[in-house]
Amino acid sequence: MTITQPQPQPQPHANTGALAASARGLTRTYGRGDAAVHALRGVDLDLPRGRFTAIMGPSGSGKSTLMHCLAGLDAADGGTVAVDDVVLTGLDDTALTLFRRERVGFVFQSFNLLPMLTAEQNIALPLELAGRRLDPARLAEVVDTLGLRDRLSHRPSELSGGQQQRVAIARALVAQPAIVFADEPTGNLDSESSAEVLGFLRRSVRELGHTVVMVTHELSAAAYADDVVVIADGTIRAHLVSPTAEVLASTLQDAR
Amino acid sequence: MRTVLLSSLRLHTRRYVSAILAVVISVAFVVTIAALSAAARDGLTRGVSAPFENADVVATAISGRDAADLMAAAPKAGADASVVGWAELRVARDATTVDGVDQVASIATAPDLRWPTLVDGTFPTGPGEAAVDDRVAEDSGIAVGDTLEVGRGGQTSEVRVTAVVDSPSAFLRSEVYLTWPDLAPFADQMLVDSVAWAGPEAAITKAVPTAKVMASDQYVDDLTKQLNHGVDVTAIMLLLFGAIALFVSVLVIANTFSILLAQRQRDLALLRCVGATRRQVRRSVRLEALAIGVLAAAIGLIAGTALGHGLVAALNSWFPNAGLGHASVSPTWYVAAGLTGVLVTLVASWLPTRRVTTVSPLAALRPGEDVEVRSAAGRLRLAAGFVTVAVGAVLLGVSVATTEPLVMVLGGILAFSGVLMLGPVLMPALIGLTGRLTGRVLGTPGRLAAGNAVRHPRRTAATTASLLIGVTLTTAVLTGMASTRAALSSELDTSYPIDASLTVGPEGAQSLDPDAAKVVGAIDGVEQVVTVPGVRATVGQLGPLEILGRPADDGLLRGDGTELDVADDEIALPVDLGIDEPIPDRVTVQVDGHSVQLRTVVKEGFGNTSALVSSATLARLTSEPHDAALWLRIDDDADSGDLADRLDVAASGLGADLENGFADRAFINLQLDIMTGAVVGLLGMAVVVALIGIANTLGLSVLERTREHALLRALGLTRRQLRTMLGVEAVLLSVVATVLGTAIGATFAWVGVEALIRKAVSDAPLVLPWGQLAIVVLISAAAGLLACVLPARRAARVTPAAGLATD
Repeated sequence: MTITQPQPQPQPHANTGALAASARGLTRTYGRGDAAVHALRGVDLDLPRGRFTAIMGPSGSGKSTLMHCLAGLDAADGGTVAVDDVVLTGLDDTALTLFRRERVGFVFQSFNLLPMLTAEQNIALPLELAGRRLDPARLAEVVDTLGLRDRLSHRPSELSGGQQQRVAIARALVAQPAIVFADEPTGNLDSESSAEVLGFLRRSVRELGHTVVMVTHELSAAAYADDVVVIADGTIRAHLVSPTAEVLASTLQDAR
Repeated sequence: MRTVLLSSLRLHTRRYVSAILAVVISVAFVVTIAALSAAARDGLTRGVSAPFENADVVATAISGRDAADLMAAAPKAGADASVVGWAELRVARDATTVDGVDQVASIATAPDLRWPTLVDGTFPTGPGEAAVDDRVAEDSGIAVGDTLEVGRGGQTSEVRVTAVVDSPSAFLRSEVYLTWPDLAPFADQMLVDSVAWAGPEAAITKAVPTAKVMASDQYVDDLTKQLNHGVDVTAIMLLLFGAIALFVSVLVIANTFSILLAQRQRDLALLRCVGATRRQVRRSVRLEALAIGVLAAAIGLIAGTALGHGLVAALNSWFPNAGLGHASVSPTWYVAAGLTGVLVTLVASWLPTRRVTTVSPLAALRPGEDVEVRSAAGRLRLAAGFVTVAVGAVLLGVSVATTEPLVMVLGGILAFSGVLMLGPVLMPALIGLTGRLTGRVLGTPGRLAAGNAVRHPRRTAATTASLLIGVTLTTAVLTGMASTRAALSSELDTSYPIDASLTVGPEGAQSLDPDAAKVVGAIDGVEQVVTVPGVRATVGQLGPLEILGRPADDGLLRGDGTELDVADDEIALPVDLGIDEPIPDRVTVQVDGHSVQLRTVVKEGFGNTSALVSSATLARLTSEPHDAALWLRIDDDADSGDLADRLDVAASGLGADLENGFADRAFINLQLDIMTGAVVGLLGMAVVVALIGIANTLGLSVLERTREHALLRALGLTRRQLRTMLGVEAVLLSVVATVLGTAIGATFAWVGVEALIRKAVSDAPLVLPWGQLAIVVLISAAAGLLACVLPARRAARVTPAAGLATD
């Protein structure tokens, strides 16, 4: 197992701590007895702020479970998680929900948008749920960055896959969360739309100073990230900081 | 395909619970009605032949007085005769009314025609002797040797109980039995079924030419048929409500199938992909429906049998006098009810299962998120809906103009069907409108709920339609009954302007006791007592009569108070004066040599033994009137039974004639209450089925939206907000359907009042029972909340991570 500690990077999105999220000794098991699946077997991980990190691994490696635990969507069986200096371990459901609402943005692989709401309503949803006011200037900034100006009144069924994912990104960014989690955001997209979506994610980190953590199994997608965490069989195999394509490919080869 | 069928049955049966429940309730209801009517039939007809077994012929179609004439003629003709009939009379022991005992019948002294069976003592042999029913003896503690006083007002018979008897028939059972000489004075008040006659029959037609004479066994046959017919009519009326529940079930089942099959569309398409033909898929789905129908019908038969027998047993133990017999449901009923259940399921699933087979195999391969987000209503359906509503409305208008009930029913059915057809457009529009309000009040969850409620317009329409039916009918009944009550109440104000009056009897004292007003005023429930002055006068050919001077009216009279106004040159005579000769236009009224000429008018409601003049006229007749009557105003909430007994006692103590309009009014109101309660209760069944439908739609929608809920939870919707959202959705569905149903129901009631009641009562008002209508809306809102409890709990339990992982 090769662990390369990340180097401190300049942080445009200045905040108190250097870490956006961290996990210690994280374990998660599904099922019992013979049917037990150990999705996470003691994961330690630190994700710095202002970076675009990809979590990579083959199917069943535990990468989605890791993301769910980091994002407060699922409770780990053991270990601790802290996100944006908040310790999630032991929070009850409501506290977790409020935490997600305030600090976390999400982009999922599919079924990202509520079918009965327009694009604009979908974007505003997390703020509405939190009872916060939508800053029109902020909305305009995000919408323009993602090129969604003329799509705002459309419903999801009237949008292409790429457009739907851009709306999801806009929704994730508009509330200025401490961290954005993206779960296979390009899994259902053609290569052109994929490039577009990944480009936006990278821009949101580079230009807007966000922190993005993306789960993917595609090498081409991981290439957009600053750092890459490689996971297999529920353990972290490597945490590569700004790897070259060759280093990444060989690390992944080793992880198989 | 059999493995597919079996495994999908195993997998999905739980999701069919509501469809099964709807069928179970309907089938169980039919079987319960069958059991109850069988019991009623058995109870009513068993033993009815007893009075006629030794009779040669039976005389029917006779009044109480005819019966008395026949009884008088019998000894002369050398025949034995016995009256089968009842009178409602006060029965007192030691000067206290015996509670709940007022039915008095005759018992023959001739052993051949005496039909009750002896339990204790010896049969009465003549006047002054009586028998009591064994159940009455047990309940009220009357025993052989006790002395009873039977009768009302001035007329009473004192009898000694010599026997405790049992009746072989529930239909014929009475509470007290008197021999004919003691009962004869009350012959006018009797309800006579027939007179059993043993002897030469020629004497019958000689005594009473109008009597219908028939052979006794023929009469027993007819009577049995007539009683059965009565039960059948009631059973058919009740089954009508069963039919409504069945119709609502059809909607619920059809909706369940369309939702479930929509959810399984990809599975079915995959089946097509791997080689199942369209027919095979359709067969498999329909066999599934058949299995569900058979299962539900079977459960319904068992539940109905248990309920029917349980109910009959319970009724028999609570009300032994109700006269229910054995509850044996014939196999025909079982087969019919079971088949109905299966058929209803098949019919309801026909369309949804047909639609499903139009799925192309490719649907399975498409990366589908939502197979179908909006199921819009076809234009044809809309047009047809509008036309149907319009035609229905026109027919309703015609029915108002022509007061033709058949046109009204047809118009109502058409208009309502039209509304149902427009449902997919109408309901979402209404819900959207209401949803704006909930969104403002409850924020995002409220707004999301409104959106969710109208996502599938057809589903929304079908879900709400079932509730709409029940609520429309309930509201129509409630409003119709309230209006009927108001119409009757104004009629009653005319017939009974005085709640109760005590008038000195024709043979009684000249003046009432000076304390009478005080005594009567002290009776519980008497609000106001007015002493009416009067004088004994000779009225033309009509003989001596008590003349009352109309007292001043301060809130004493019902209605507008003008009902009993008499002009100074008029004398009002009661409708039922009991004089055969026609009343002349003018009469001379004489008191002690004074005589006054007066015009006669006929009025009712101030007693049958006196006449009424204005107070000025009375002053012309006499300078010293005496206290001739007490007119009472009674508290609206008074217990009419208690009051009637107390007034009876007071009247007989004062030797006065009692006219108790309040009791008649209370009786009519009670009838209306019972009718309203029964109808609303029976419609409640349809409403329950509809609410199961709402819970079902919501439950299945929740399953369907697992991922969506997980997404919302990930984005920051708390558990409580999720539950709120689902609760608001359910309440929106139920309340909007209820409010619309209330509006339609009230409209139908208005048409009903215009077309039916106004024919009888010209100024019948439409009365909206706001309180009851509000209760209906509240109940349905509460029931809507109840319907969402289970689905909402299930939805809230799923963690966001688990929800996102489901496919």
